[in-house]
Amino acid sequence: MPAVKVKRMGIAIDMTPLVDVAFLLLTFFMLTTKFKPQEEVEVNLPASHAKFKMPESDVMTITFSPDGRFFLGLDSQQLRGQLFGERNKLKPSIAVTVEELTSLAQQARSANPKLRTIIKGDRSGPYGPAEDVMNALQKANIARFELVTETEAQ
Amino acid sequence: MAGGMDLGGGRSHGKKSKKRKGRRLGIRMDMTPLVDVAFLLLTFFMLTTTFSLPQVMEINLPPSESRSEVTESTLLLLRILPDGRVFWNFGTDVPKSIPWEELRSFLKGRAQSNPNLITLVKVDRKSKYENSVRIIDELYLAQITKFSLAPLLEQDKKLMGITDES
Repeated sequence: MPAVKVKRMGIAIDMTPLVDVAFLLLTFFMLTTKFKPQEEVEVNLPASHAKFKMPESDVMTITFSPDGRFFLGLDSQQLRGQLFGERNKLKPSIAVTVEELTSLAQQARSANPKLRTIIKGDRSGPYGPAEDVMNALQKANIARFELVTETEAQ
Repeated sequence: MAGGMDLGGGRSHGKKSKKRKGRRLGIRMDMTPLVDVAFLLLTFFMLTTTFSLPQVMEINLPPSESRSEVTESTLLLLRILPDGRVFWNFGTDVPKSIPWEELRSFLKGRAQSNPNLITLVKVDRKSKYENSVRIIDELYLAQITKFSLAPLLEQDKKLMGITDES
C-alpha cells in the first residue's frame, strides 16, 4: 500500500492484544484437539437420549458394518501388539470373525481388567450382527457393555 | 517457508517507515505474517475440533445360565418385527401393535402402574439396528432400567402371523 507513505494521518492500531488472544486460542485449540481416529469402516451412529459420554481410555471397540463384518479395536497400542501381533500393532482395529471375538475379548479383558466394551453399529444395518456380538460377549463373560449413539436432536 | 522470508523483508521495511523514538532502541517487527499464520492455524483447529464425544448407552446382560421364573401377568413382551413395527403383549395375550410415537407414554404408564414389571425385548435379526437402540432408549426414558434382550424366535413370528418369506 504505497498510499500510506504519503503525508496522511496514519492510523496505527496496536495489534498486540489481538495477537495475544489469537495465540491463546490457538494454543487452547491445539492442546485440546483430538483427531478422530482412523477407522476401518465408517458407521452412521444411531441416535438416543443417553447421557453418558463415551470413555476415552481403556476401551475395546467392537464395530460391525452393515455388510456383516466385525472389527475389534483397542486404544492401547501395547495391547494391540499383544493380541493382534506386532504386525498389526499400528492399526486401530482389525477385522475379526464372531468366533474369534469371544477369545480375543477374553484375552483383552484379562490383560486389562479395566477395559470397557463399546459396541458401534450402523443405524441402518440389521440387528443380527449386534445380537451375535452380544452373544459372543456373553460367552466371554462380559456382561456390561455400551452402545455408542449420537445425541438425538430434539 | 515463505513466511520467514516475508518476516525478514517486512522488518527492514517497517523499521524505515516508522519514526524513531530517541529513548530506546526499539525493534519494530511487522507482525502481519505472523498474525496471518496464527489466525490460519486458529481457524483450522477451531474447525477441526470436535468437542462432543458420542454418547453411550449402558447395557448389562445377565449371565447366560441365570434363569428366573416370572409370572406371566407381569411379563411385558415387546417384539420388533423385521419391518420395524412394534408389538406388545402381557404373558400369553394376543400381541398388539403400537406406533413408536406412543411407545414412550405407554411404557411410562405401565412402569408406574406396575413397579415390578419385567420387560423382555425381542428384536428380529433382520430389523434395523437403529430400532433396537431406539427401543432401549425408550425403555430408559420410561425409567425401565431392567429388561432382557432375547432373539425373536420362529414361534414368535408364527404367533405374529408372519412367515419367513425373505
